[in-house]
Amino acid sequence: MITHTVTLANRANTTIEVSAHRPLLETLRSQGIELPYGCKYGACITCAAKLLNGEVDQNKQVALNNRQIENGYVILCVARPTTDITLEIGVESHDKLYRNPFLDPLQAHELKADIATSKDP
Amino acid sequence: MECCGPGYSSPAEAMKAPRERLLYTIAIYTGTGIQKPDYLATIDNDPDSATYSQVISRCDMPGIGDELHHMGWNACSSCFEDSSMSRKYLLVPGVRSSNIHVIDCATDPRNPTIFKVIEGARIKSATNLSAPHTIHCLGSEIIISMLGDANGEAPGGYLHLDKNFEIIGRWENSMGDIPFSYDFWYQPRHNVMVSSEWAAPKTFMPGFDLEEVGYLKYGRRLHLWDFEKKEPKQTFYLGEDGLIPLEVRFHHNPDSTHGFCGAALSANIIHWWKDDNDEWLWEKIIDVENEPHPEWPIPIPGVISVILLSMDDRFLYLCNWLHGDIRQYNIEDPHNPVLTGQVWLGGLLDKAPIVNGVKVTGGPQMIQLSLDGQRLYVTTSLFSTWDNQFYPEIRTNGGCMLMVNCNTEAGGMEIDQDFVVDFGKEPKGPSRCHETRYPGGDCTSDIWI
Repeated sequence: MITHTVTLANRANTTIEVSAHRPLLETLRSQGIELPYGCKYGACITCAAKLLNGEVDQNKQVALNNRQIENGYVILCVARPTTDITLEIGVESHDKLYRNPFLDPLQAHELKADIATSKDP
Repeated sequence: MECCGPGYSSPAEAMKAPRERLLYTIAIYTGTGIQKPDYLATIDNDPDSATYSQVISRCDMPGIGDELHHMGWNACSSCFEDSSMSRKYLLVPGVRSSNIHVIDCATDPRNPTIFKVIEGARIKSATNLSAPHTIHCLGSEIIISMLGDANGEAPGGYLHLDKNFEIIGRWENSMGDIPFSYDFWYQPRHNVMVSSEWAAPKTFMPGFDLEEVGYLKYGRRLHLWDFEKKEPKQTFYLGEDGLIPLEVRFHHNPDSTHGFCGAALSANIIHWWKDDNDEWLWEKIIDVENEPHPEWPIPIPGVISVILLSMDDRFLYLCNWLHGDIRQYNIEDPHNPVLTGQVWLGGLLDKAPIVNGVKVTGGPQMIQLSLDGQRLYVTTSLFSTWDNQFYPEIRTNGGCMLMVNCNTEAGGMEIDQDFVVDFGKEPKGPSRCHETRYPGGDCTSDIWI
């Protein structure tokens, strides 16, 4: 089984070995890490965490817009690690997740992937 | 009462029911940072009781992350002549988890308990549906609007349960070309159901990206259904007048064809009816003006998050969640509503930041009215992710419930000074309350067939 190491930056840099083939929410919870979650199908953003280092495959997520992705957010219920990674987890990591849409509009390239336009056409 | 089924023989009879002395509201921790289950809170509403206006019990859900939201009774006045039925169970779904909790509120009304849970995973595999919202009973059966398919894509459909809460399957025979689901209400004597449109779960659940309205990711239509054939038959395209049409309410009078919808983002009230030529028509009857704000580049829309009709169909209430006001309109002439009352609590315009000693975070959101029309209960949280965008302090302050006394003769509203439930002070930390119901039925639960 291929595994990767997850470092939890805001849990005293705890490290956990997880499968490369299972969603991070599932593997972290199974090892006793408390995490918020909701839909488990990548759409509701409740389980969002911030990826500080490394890479994940989260092509099944449909919740994040490109600004949130740019800010490092990953959807743990569908994301799988492809390298060793460092995460900031829980609601403490959500400082840049929410914005007032009237005060802080998105640019065209910051929308969700299905409607975003390229930044440099 | 000459019959022994649940509810009342008519709206007029319902108005004579005893005063509600217990209130049920859901309270959420989902999205708050507190890793605890959401719960159903029971509030003592007997003014002569020592624990009046306090939470007296909490029924925790078995899991975390449901986001409890709306709820509905297993039976209502549509079963009035069926003595085998009783209004005993509240169905309390989690929008995010798709779990549907069946809660026994009758064995001990002051301490409701979980009777059964219909797992979201089972609903998804049996029906390819997720994200439960509105619940109505139809006779002894139950239909629930589901806002997405098993992957969170629109338009979802309708889950059909039998009276023992077993999954029958999909209720509808066809969704036609309906793009989105949300609320629904039916009027059987006219063989009609009306449904409205929010958005796909994958669109509204993560929060509100205003830009997605322009990309047609949010609703702007109402749908009329052939209720017996269980398929849509006509669409009202509301356009810019009807952006994000949410709560729909028919008159309680089962012979009436008049109904109303609040278009949240347009901040309009839409009225529909059937004319003398049997044609269904619609019009905009209320248009809440956007309000300037010193720090906003554009005026703030009201965002009408809910509407409600009094049991005698004389008054319409609406909440402007971002402005912070509740309005009462006399709709005895449904084409020409007259503003008869208005109160302020919370909101972004800073008109009433503190009410009854409690800092109101959020704005007036869900409302429920007593059967006699005199007491309106209001809560302040809309949806965890949207709360976090517009009222981020709600994380630490929690939501609250207030009562508004309503004049049912001349019209008029006043916030009751003796009633406030501060969910910021809950034992496990600040939670957020949403929809309210009470044991004897209320103004959004009962339909007469």
